[in-house]
Amino acid sequence: MSLSAALNKVFFGEIVKGLGLTFKHLFEKSITQQYPHTKPMLPDGYRGIMSLLKYDDGTERCVGCALCEIACPSNVIKVVSAEEPGRPLNRYAKTYTFDVTRCVFCGFCVDACPVDALAMTKEYEWASENKRTLFLDKDQLLAIGDRNFPLRGKKPEYRGSIEGDWYLTAVKAKAYPKQAEKP
Amino acid sequence: MEAIGQLVVILGTIGVVMVTVLLHVAYLTYLERKVLGWMQDRMGPMEVGYHGLLQPLADGLKLFMKEDIIPSGANKIIFSLAPILSLIPALIGFAVVPWGDGQLTIPLPWIGDVTFRPFVTDLNIGILYVLALSSVGAYGVLLGGWASNSKYSLLGGLRSAAQVISYELALGMSLVGVLLMAGSLSLVKIAQAQAGGFWHWYAFALPFPQIVALVLYGIAAVAETNRLPFDLPEAESELVAGFFTEYSGMRFAFFFLAEYANMILVSCIATIVFLGGWHAPFPFLDFVPGIIWFLLKVYVFLFGFFWIRATLPRLRYDQLMTFGWKVMIPLVLANIVITSIAQYFWMN
Repeated sequence: MSLSAALNKVFFGEIVKGLGLTFKHLFEKSITQQYPHTKPMLPDGYRGIMSLLKYDDGTERCVGCALCEIACPSNVIKVVSAEEPGRPLNRYAKTYTFDVTRCVFCGFCVDACPVDALAMTKEYEWASENKRTLFLDKDQLLAIGDRNFPLRGKKPEYRGSIEGDWYLTAVKAKAYPKQAEKP
Repeated sequence: MEAIGQLVVILGTIGVVMVTVLLHVAYLTYLERKVLGWMQDRMGPMEVGYHGLLQPLADGLKLFMKEDIIPSGANKIIFSLAPILSLIPALIGFAVVPWGDGQLTIPLPWIGDVTFRPFVTDLNIGILYVLALSSVGAYGVLLGGWASNSKYSLLGGLRSAAQVISYELALGMSLVGVLLMAGSLSLVKIAQAQAGGFWHWYAFALPFPQIVALVLYGIAAVAETNRLPFDLPEAESELVAGFFTEYSGMRFAFFFLAEYANMILVSCIATIVFLGGWHAPFPFLDFVPGIIWFLLKVYVFLFGFFWIRATLPRLRYDQLMTFGWKVMIPLVLANIVITSIAQYFWMN
């Protein structure tokens, strides 16, 4: 054993080194996030609870096609489609139920929607003591959309015919509603 | 009248010491969690009160409310006795700890003048008394472990007994060097002999500075109070919680209080014996009251406890025993021999 190694052992060199490291960390800023008091900064594209959107004139975007129901991997969504009263060519979702307890937040429903009627929000604080509060109907989903996306897309004008796919391109051409800016 | 006056003095001093020690114990848990948190880039308790300052009160309240469970098959009498047997020696050890100089005379109606002094009693065998009590405290741990009727508790208690006996030797003998130099076992006399600057403290004093003994005392004290890295008796990964696995509520709190009170006690002894007690490091700093210097030095030691806990992992059991018998005891014996030789030539 060399002299320096022996001295290192006698004076607990390794332990002193470790003590120095912990002492240095005493003055470092803590990385704790005091969660309920300070909220985390969520990245763009964060998938929180799903919401239903409206057009700028307050009408629903959803056309009741139930593609979201088909796309959903865990049977969260149930859509019952119906014709709009007085406008037999227009369909809408008569009931739209969403079971948050089963949702895996994959966002496939949003991808599947042909008219961009769905969007994932950044809401995540949905813990509840009562499971029934997590079974959402259409009004609740629309309310979530209203409070998370105050900027609504413009409704395309009806051109008297639904021949071709002009309606879909017109809907898609509208800017996707911007996420409400969090302060 | 004379007797009543003395009674007032004794009860008053004991009351002051008890309240101070228990408050310190309560807030030592808070301080430990804070320091550990900071060292691990966390914050420690933050929720109860401003920066978690009321956390010890909340913890105490919680422990009062907890159900008091006595396991079936446990020896009820010894099971209830063990926490008390552990706590009482830790607390009455403070009887001989002097925390300052001088005296305070207060005229009381009907009783007359009473003179308070900064210690409960000045035993002429103070150090021996403290060491004896710390051995008695090991009985509480051992009996608590045995009476719980649980294998984890029993193993924890046995480990604790073996550890305390091994390190008690090193702890006691590391103080012998100072006893040779001071020529007294009374903590008050030892502290008074170190007046006038840090070069008179026994850790740095001629003829032979006891700095090695101080380090050895520190290591033995950590082992004696069952703190990391020597917390084999309560090693979570092996023994759940060691000797207090089966304890709950106030009985658990008693063991907890005893551990922290022991930490404060060994820190006080180290301060008095090696670091000059209440004396200032330089004579021109004498205007600062002695109690402040005393607390400052004790806090440095307590911080050392937390610091070591935050840094080092737990030792293996054979490492603990090897270190105790093959390193610590030869070193303290060598220290005694060298100190006595140096002191012999110094006195002639």
